[in-house]
Parts: sequence; structure tokens; C-alpha cells
Amino acid sequence: MSDSLLRTEKVTFSYSRKGAKVLDEMDIDIPVGKKTAILGSNGAGKSTLFSVLNALNKPASGKVYYKDAPMSYSHSGKIRMRSEVSILFQNPNEMMFKPYVEQDVAYGPENMKLPKEEVEERVQEALFAVGMEAYRKSPIMKLSYGQRKRVTLAGVLAMRPSVLIMDEPTAGLDPQMAYEVMEIAEQLNSSGVTVIMSSHDTDLVYSWADEIRVLNSSKCVYSGIPEPFYEDYQLVQKAGLLMPSVYRMNRTFANLGKCELEPYPHTQSQLSVKISDRCATDFGVMNVVKVDKDTDIPALLASEGLEGLPIGIYGMSARTARNKTEMSVDFMYNGPENCIRKCLSGEDSVLLCDPIMVDKAVSSADFINGNGYGKIDVRTV
Amino acid sequence: MDELAYSSRMVDWAPLGKLLLVMCLLIVGLITESIVVPMITFVIGILLMAYSTNMKIPLILSLAIGEAILIMIIGSGMISIMGDPNEPALWEGQILWFKIHMTATSFNKAWIIFIRAIAGVTLMLSFASSTPIPHLAQAFRSLHFPSEITELIVLIYRYAFLLLERFLVMIDAAQCRLGYNGSLTAMRSYGGAMAGTFIFSMEMAEKSEAALACRNYNGYFPIYRPPRKMSVMWPIVAIGSAVVLYVFGLYSVGWIDMQQIFAPLFGW
Ligand SMILES: Nc1ncnc2c1ncn2[C@@H]1O[C@H](COP(=O)(O)OP(=O)(O)OP(=O)(O)O)[C@@H](O)[C@H]1O
Ligand SMILES: [Mg+2]
Repeated sequence: MSDSLLRTEKVTFSYSRKGAKVLDEMDIDIPVGKKTAILGSNGAGKSTLFSVLNALNKPASGKVYYKDAPMSYSHSGKIRMRSEVSILFQNPNEMMFKPYVEQDVAYGPENMKLPKEEVEERVQEALFAVGMEAYRKSPIMKLSYGQRKRVTLAGVLAMRPSVLIMDEPTAGLDPQMAYEVMEIAEQLNSSGVTVIMSSHDTDLVYSWADEIRVLNSSKCVYSGIPEPFYEDYQLVQKAGLLMPSVYRMNRTFANLGKCELEPYPHTQSQLSVKISDRCATDFGVMNVVKVDKDTDIPALLASEGLEGLPIGIYGMSARTARNKTEMSVDFMYNGPENCIRKCLSGEDSVLLCDPIMVDKAVSSADFINGNGYGKIDVRTV
Repeated sequence: MDELAYSSRMVDWAPLGKLLLVMCLLIVGLITESIVVPMITFVIGILLMAYSTNMKIPLILSLAIGEAILIMIIGSGMISIMGDPNEPALWEGQILWFKIHMTATSFNKAWIIFIRAIAGVTLMLSFASSTPIPHLAQAFRSLHFPSEITELIVLIYRYAFLLLERFLVMIDAAQCRLGYNGSLTAMRSYGGAMAGTFIFSMEMAEKSEAALACRNYNGYFPIYRPPRKMSVMWPIVAIGSAVVLYVFGLYSVGWIDMQQIFAPLFGW
């Protein structure tokens, strides 16, 4: 039993018989339960690869395996696979199906033959997750590009897939929403979903992905953890990509003799603490507060004596709970990173966190604590 | 179709020349009394098409031809069984309230009409499959067709493709969200795709209008790579072959008598 969920073996595909090969004997595998990013320049074949992985296109030769079984192209086989593997298209206009927002989001769950209440609940939740509840009854055609993108994301979230393929989910979104999408992806992954994403946002991907796959000239030219790839400057150039800025700065500091190359920081706060010589003990405390959907946040904070601290938010249930109060939150996006930053400047902070995400939130201090750059106390409440 | 036309080997031929040739062959096929001439023009049509598509006549064209042939078989069948009641009948009978009276003349007439028709269809298709619409529009324009009509043709044609493309996109969109999970769902999805095609393409049409306006569209699409102009060879070849075929047609009347060919088969 291998740990690959989706795998291609020498897959060759072109859009027309005489056309150039878009995928040329491509071997790629997607590990189960991880966050995998697919990188590559425009036209490298990312979207095409996804269409092959979702059986929308059948390769001319080679094999696609899903859960170690060859992909079935029979009608029922495809239905079975697609009820587990959902795909978010790069272009929302190619994904919209119904004329109104809520109808479109409900389309997937309805096709899954779920009971009406369940559909209703999922639509509600998915629209909330992407911040589009206010547009529930709007005609899709009257929405902006980014809003459409959010709606189509809600459409696949509502299907609650166990594998989610997202083709450039953050392109065209505002920066905060881009972080929120990453958070959604993180949350799905915490609950056991395998998430695959293509993106041109190198920085965002670098802080998110467990593994990367790099496509170039119809082949997969790199597969593995990100660092060795970015280490190979030639390869990065050839693939038409750039180093993530945190990675590059870390590298520059290492070249300047300011620090060792490893351990690799993945976020700005990690990098900052790594190069500041201040091995401080006066960092603030990060209070990770578990928040359920129905938690009364102000009451909980009061009972724990955590009022007045800067507050970050992380995860779906925390967002839902916070939505029920009038409470203001300092960091609506990228919660753990922002809270860590506060702690680095000596302040305590509070992270309202979905119980399922607690481990992830807590581990965001690991880089600092584990490498002797100082000590951030993390208190789980 | 446009894609097919652009990949055709005859795409560089002058559209007006092609049109003239096809028209001449078509007309000569229609006006001669001999069945041999439309047979020849049919063969020319097939050959042109085979050359144009590099011997690979695509499925969609074969389907179109097949369908046309089917319709014409029915049509000719009707003609053949409605012969002049004063002539001796080859076959007489009654199907429901339909009186059948097939005569040698009506049988032969049906055949010649049938062959003329399929010859016409293949010729027209060989032209259509090798001439992108912008080229055709150019040809119309150089014939001083009213520009409104020309642009209308172009726009309708483009809109048709817009719809088709949109429909295919919608089908994919439905597939990814389990739109074909069960026959009832599938039916709803097809319906939704059709409705959606119109709704969304309306938006696209609106947007394309804006896109055109932004790029100074003022009533006609210039052609990026104009096709060749018609040389004098074209009318010579076209009219020449038409005349030759016509004269040949005068001599060849009655060379082939379909009724006699089929006579042994049916014992007439
Ligand atoms: N529908 C299509 N018909 C024909 N060729 C296509 C089609 N879609 C994509 N291609 C071609 O396939 C190649 C790969 O396209 P693809 O969309 O997979 O790239 P991508 O990596 O997703 O790029 P981007 O970063 O721009 O999204 C391109 O060279 C493109 O021209
Ligand atoms: Mg793409």
C-alpha cells in the first residue's frame, strides 16, 4: 500500500490529434492527507493535469491511478470518483452553472441527493466560509470576478469532498481573502482532506505547502519538499518561477554570515526571529482559545481573564462564533502568524481557534521554541 | 467548423474562386438532363473534400453528409412512387392511404434528383469546410454585397460558436459537480446547461460588445491574414469545366438508365 492518492504514470495528453503534447509521459503522484502545491509557469499544463486527474480529459496514453486503482472512465466510475474528488476551476466563469448564487452553491449537494435541510445547511456554511452570505440571492452575473471566484469555491466546499483540487484559488482575490482561502485549505487538511492547489503566489504557497510538484515543458521536473527545489537556482529559472521572498532573504542572510541556512523559516516572523540575535525570554504568551460554533466568546475571554489582548482568529467554528457577537477582532486573517508577531514584540495575544486547528496553531510557535530562538509560551484554553 | 476550415489544405485558395467553381459545378449538375454529370460533380466534391481535409474526413462532416443522404433517400423515394398514373407502372400498391405508382420515368427522375442533391451537398460542404467565415465575408464584400448582410452573417456565425462553446463548458461544469448522477439529475443538468448557455452567453455577448467597442470596432472585422485574390485561372477553370460538363451532359443523356440497372433486381 503506497501513500499516493492520485498518481499518473507516463501520462501523455494533447488537446487535438495533431496538437503539441501538453503532458508528455508525465509521472506525478499526490500523497494522501497532505497539502500539495503544483507550480509552473503559464501554459505549463497545471490546469490540464487537473482535468486529467478529474477524468474530464482522458490521456492518450499512460495511466491515472486513484487510490491505487486505475481510473475508471465508465459513467458510474466517474461519478464515484467525483463524489470524493472535487475540483475548483481556475476560471469561475467556466464553473458557474446556475444563475443565482445560492442555487449555484446548492447544485453540487443537490446532485449528491442530500436531504433538503442538509443542502440548506451546507450552502449557508459554505457561503459564510467565503464571506458571501450577503449575496445569497444575487444573480451571479452581477458579481465581480473575485466574488464569482468565491462563489465557485463555496460550490465545491459545499460538496465536502475528501480530496480537493483547487486551480489557482487565490488569483483575483483580495489579499485578506487569499489568506482566508489558505486557512480554509488548512482547515480542510486538518480534518483529513487531501488538498492540491496550483498557484502563482509563491509566498503564500511556501508558507502553506507540505510538498510541491513543479511542471515545466510538459513534464514534472521536481517533486518533493520545497527547499531543495529552490536551492537549485537553474531549475527555478528554467521553470519560470521565483524564490519565495522569505526563502530568498533567509538565503541572503546566510550568505552574509548572519545565520545558518537551516532551519528554513517559512514565515516572516520566523525569519525575523531567526536573524535577530536577541535570544529573548520576554516574548509574550500566545493564548490559543478553543472556540466551538456556539461558544460565547466574550464570556469565555472574561472568565479566563484574557480581555483587552490583541485577538486573532483561526478556523471556521471560531469565525462562526465570532459572527454571533459584535466583538471586534484584530486579525481576521493569518491569525497564528499575526499572534506570533505580537508575542515577539513582547505582548500577549489571544488566538480564537477552531478545536480541529489547535495543533496547527500551537505548532506555529515550534520553529521559535524548538530552535532556541527564544521562548513563546503557548497556553491552550 | 472554423477550426476545420483553418486547418484545411485549401484554405489558401481564393475563396471567390472556390465559390465560383463550386457554383458552376452545382449549376451544371442541375441543368443537365444526364445523370452522369451530377455523378461526376459528386465525385469532384468528394475529392475536393478529401484533399481539403487531408484524406481524413472528420466525423462531423460524414455525419452531415450521412444525414443529408438519408433525407434525400426519403425525398427521392417519395418522388419515385408518385409517377404519372397514365404511364405503365413498375410497381403499384397501397401503403395505408398512400397510393403507390412507380413508373420508369419517375424512378429515373428520383435518381437524378437524388444524385444532384448529394452532389450539391458535398460540393457545398467542400467549400464550407475549407473556407473560414471571415474569408467568405471578404468574398461577399468584394462582390459588393451590402455590408450589413455580410456582417450579419459573420455575427450570427460567431454567436453560434459562442453558444456551442458555452454549452460544452457548461457540460464540463456540471460533470465536476456530479451533474450526471442518475438520469433525473442528468436531465435536469442538460436543461440547466441549455438555459445557462443562453443566460451566460448573453453576458458574454454584452462583454464582447464592450470589448469590440474598446478596440475601435467600426462595422467590420479586418482579416489578419487575407486569403489570396482570385486569379484569372479560377473563372477559366470554373466556367471551362462547367461548359465541358454541360456539353458532355448533352451527349450522355440516357447513358445510364437506373431503371434498367435495377430491373433484374426487382424483375421489372
Ligand atoms: N482547451 C484547450 N484547447 C487546446 N489547447 C489548450 C486548451 N487548454 C489549454 N491548452 C494548451 O495547453 C497548454 C497548457 O495549458 P494549461 O491551461 O494546462 O496551463 P496552466 O499551467 O494551467 O497555465 P496557467 O498558469 O496560465 O493557468 C497551453 O500551451 C495551452 O495552449
Ligand atoms: Mg491554469
